[in-house]
Parts: sequence; structure tokens; C-alpha cells
Amino acid sequence: MSEPNLVLAPRDVAFDWSAVPAHWVPGEPLVTHVMNTLHLVLPEGERWFVEVFGQALPHIRDERLRQDVIGFIGQEAVHAEAHQGAADHLAAQGMNPQPFIDQVSWLFRTLLGHRDLPAAVRHQWLLERLALIAAIEHFTAVLGRWVLEAPLESAGADPTMVDLLRWHGAEEVEHRSVAYDLYMHLDGRWSRRVRAMVVAGPVLGWLFARSARWLMANDPQRPGGPRLRDARRAARRGLLPSLPALLRATWRYLPPSYHPSADGGTEAAVAYLATSPAARAAAR
Amino acid sequence: MFGLLRPVAAAHLWFSRRGVRGHRPVPAVDRDLPLTVVDRRLEAVDVVSLTLASGSDLPPWEPGCHLDVRLPSGLRRQYSLCGDPADRRTYRIAVRRVGEASAQVHSSVRIGDPITVQGPRTAFPLVGAGPHVFVAGGIGITPLLPMLRASPAGYLVYCGRSLDSMPFLDELADLRDRVRVLTGIPSAEEILSSAPAGASVYACGPPPMLDAVRAAWSGPVHFERFSPPPIVDGDPFEVQLGAGGPVVPVSGVESALTALRRVRPETVYSCGQGFCGTCRVRVLSTDDTFLPCTERATGRVVLDL
Repeated sequence: MSEPNLVLAPRDVAFDWSAVPAHWVPGEPLVTHVMNTLHLVLPEGERWFVEVFGQALPHIRDERLRQDVIGFIGQEAVHAEAHQGAADHLAAQGMNPQPFIDQVSWLFRTLLGHRDLPAAVRHQWLLERLALIAAIEHFTAVLGRWVLEAPLESAGADPTMVDLLRWHGAEEVEHRSVAYDLYMHLDGRWSRRVRAMVVAGPVLGWLFARSARWLMANDPQRPGGPRLRDARRAARRGLLPSLPALLRATWRYLPPSYHPSADGGTEAAVAYLATSPAARAAAR
Repeated sequence: MFGLLRPVAAAHLWFSRRGVRGHRPVPAVDRDLPLTVVDRRLEAVDVVSLTLASGSDLPPWEPGCHLDVRLPSGLRRQYSLCGDPADRRTYRIAVRRVGEASAQVHSSVRIGDPITVQGPRTAFPLVGAGPHVFVAGGIGITPLLPMLRASPAGYLVYCGRSLDSMPFLDELADLRDRVRVLTGIPSAEEILSSAPAGASVYACGPPPMLDAVRAAWSGPVHFERFSPPPIVDGDPFEVQLGAGGPVVPVSGVESALTALRRVRPETVYSCGQGFCGTCRVRVLSTDDTFLPCTERATGRVVLDL
């Protein structure tokens, strides 16, 4: 199938967290908490995407891209609430993530939020943030492709959590070109795109490391500190993405000729959504 | 600790100030495809097919793709492509008369008429090696017709009220050993009785049929999700955009979102069905919020817009 033709729309999914154990990858607290980072970071991050894309909407002069952006906004909004449910479940299990979430919230709402600026600069601030979102979306698509294939079932991971991650990953793969296309449509300067990646890559890595450390430190079961050795071992087993693979993916984003459609993955995403319990139950 | 990111944000702000120089205006992108109706046929009771062409090669498409068709009145509707993807010169769509838009196609679109479309795009792609089982209900046959041809071992179960209401039965004659025709209202069990275990089911048809098939089949199910149902008999009301702002009337056959978008085309929204929450706004004078895509009010509601 050709890649850029897919219509995007949010799916009305629901997840029941009640039976999901604290260490939902059994015996793998580090893997569990690295992925739990998504529940702490994404709700605020994706609400910020919705906010910034909403500000970009009036500037779009391409009907098809406008439809893509509208579909993207809905998908991101549903992702945010789905991960919020998982974050609330963490809290219900005696691990209060609020102090960490408050910092994430400050990052997106204050540091990267709306600023009182002269109109021309305010527009550039919008473009600057769109470039950051395009860079972040490159990683969400990379991670989406990864999670669709990761051997999580054979590690005994909880099926509800696996469905959340794969449904989300599949939609990230589905809409992987939208943020890039939006940035290219409204600005497209290569220097800004590369600069955004140089910032977004390391900051995302730092955020995941900090969050995993925070979660390990605040886990009532006291699994001990995160060790690089454990992360490497998990990556070798395919339970975490490997650092070299992420660095290669970062590199791939840099050439002026890059377009996310070339990365593929739509078939796998569409095939997963046809089997996902959450996506199948969503009639709308 | 997050304070470490302050200088990073400051750098982005600095680049924003610098970026004003070198800013270029955004060029408009025209997605319209002007076509002409070159053939029109009655395919079944209340079903007409249109063949469209432009005189040159058309954008390629795959089974499951649809066109966004702008009708003479300005209404826009999506119709699945049901012709041959290898034919680059023409597109074919088929329309059953069910509502205002399709009635227009039946009554006022003639051979030789111009018609503007956008697309093709897909919300229903055919993936994987199969086995594929296609389940069509009535006019739901349209996307599945090219899918059946594209999937050499694919199998079609075609359901309809009666044979004379089912379009394209004649075109399926040469595929007789891969097609089962069921009339009346067959059960999901009956529809799926010949599907091999593990098959990917592609279903297109009326919502009750889709619900039944999704519930009955444990393997992969592909279906097009429902768009918002039309509003037919709501009570009219008004929304006001801020205290002292303009008042927008909402008629009984539209949502507040539709009305809002008329005056504020940049309104943020997505699902149109009340679950994504992106159009939610605060109501002035109360602490409530209002969801313009599905909620209705009585009298006037003043929104924080």
C-alpha cells in the first residue's frame, strides 16, 4: 500500500486498569518503570501538542493537511486521557506520581507554553514549537514501530498494558507524517528542523532516565536503583529499545530529503489495530 | 532539576526573534481534482454508478480508497472507489439513494457534468497476505469489489435485502466460486460460517451488521468506523461567543460545533462525537464546560470564546 493516503481519526477506546499489577512486566521493575514514564510525561505532553496544533490550524492553507491535523489532534487527545488513566492507576497502587507530573506540567505549560510576544515573534515561537513536536513525533513513531514488534507477551507483560502501548504505537505510526508535514508547510527551514532534533533527542532521553529513576526510588516495593547494566540486558532481550537503534533513528531524521513516510510501518499498524481489543471495541 | 531546561527554552525564544527575518508566506495548496462524468448507470434499485475522468492519468489508488465528492449544492460526501485500480484514466463510484446528498446525485448529476473531487484517500486499507474474507452489506459492496479482485484467494459474502437491491452481481459472475450471496438479514454466524480460522475479515455495511460481525469473529476485523450520525430533530438554541460577543444561532439539524465553525473556522475540534474533548469550552458565569460537538442547550449559552 502507498503510505501517505491514510485518513486519520481518533478511536473511542477504553481500558480497564483494575487487574493490572504494579510490576506489569513480571520481575522487570526497570522495564516497567521506563515504560511507565509514558504515563507521567505523555498526558501533559500530548495536551501541549493539541494546544500548539490548535494554534497552527488557522495558518494552514492545504485542505488535506488540515484534515490530517484535525485527526492528529483527536488521536493525541485520546492518547493523553488513556495514559492519564494508567497514571491514576499508579497512584492507586500507592505510588503518587504527582510531584513528577507537576514538573512535567511546568515544562510544557510554562516553559513551552504561550508567551506574550510581538505578533511576528509569537508566530516564530509557534514554528519553533512545531519543529520540536515534529522531532518528538519522529521518536514516537520509532517507538511505535518498536512496541508493535517487541516480545512483550513472551515476557509475561500484562495484556491490557500491552494493548494500550500497541494501540498508541500503531496510531503514532499511522500519523507519523503529520507533524513533519505541518512544520514543512508552515516553515520548512532545515536549520530549525535540525536544531529542534538536536534539542529534542537528548532532552527526551534525559526525561526518560530521570522519570525511571524517580519511579524506581518511589516504588513502594523498593526494587533498588536503576542500573545501566539492567537496561542493556533488557534491550538485548528486546524489552527496551536499544540506544544504538535510537541514535541511528535520530541520524536518519537529519538529511534535507528525509520524509517520515519512507520509514514505513503502516501495514503493521493497520494489522494490529484490527486485532487490538481496545481499537476493535471502539465503534467510533 | 527541570530548571536546567530554562536556558534551552530561552535559546528557542532567541531563535524565534531571529527567525522573523527569513520568514516566507505559506503557499496555498490546491487539492481539487476537476473531473467530468463520462458514464452513469443504474446498477440496482436506487443505486447509480458514476464513471469520472479528466482526460489525463488520475492519481493512483488502492482497494478501500474513497473520493471526497463536492456535489452541485456544495455538500461534500465520501464515496468508495469501486472500479479497477489498474485503469488510470477513470474512477468509478456508486451511490445508493438514502439522504439529501445521494438524492442530488440521483436527480441532478448527468453524463457530461463537471464534478470536483478530492483524494483518493483511504480509511480502509487492505493489508497482509490473507486469507481475507470480505463481508458486504448492500452498498457496502463498493470498497470490497476491488479488494476481492486484489486478493486472489479472497472470499466474499455479499448480503442484501433482495437480489434486485444488490448492485454489481453481474460483475461478480466470473468470480462465482469465491462469492456467496445471502439475502434477507443473515446472522453473523451464517455470514462467517465459511470463513477459515485466522482469516482477516473486512466488513462494510450497515452498523448492526458490523456490530454483529465484530462480536462474532475473534480474528482480525477491519471496518470503517462510524462518522457522527446526522442531527435531525434537535431543538434550536443560541451560543454567544463571550459576554457581549456575537450570538450564533444553532438550528435543529446541526451541532453547536457546526454553527461555531461558520463564524470561527479556526475552532479546534476532532472526533465530532463527544469523546475526544478537543472542542470543549468553558461556560461563562458557571464553572461548567460545554462540548459543542454533541451537547445542546436551551435558550442561550455564553461561552468563554
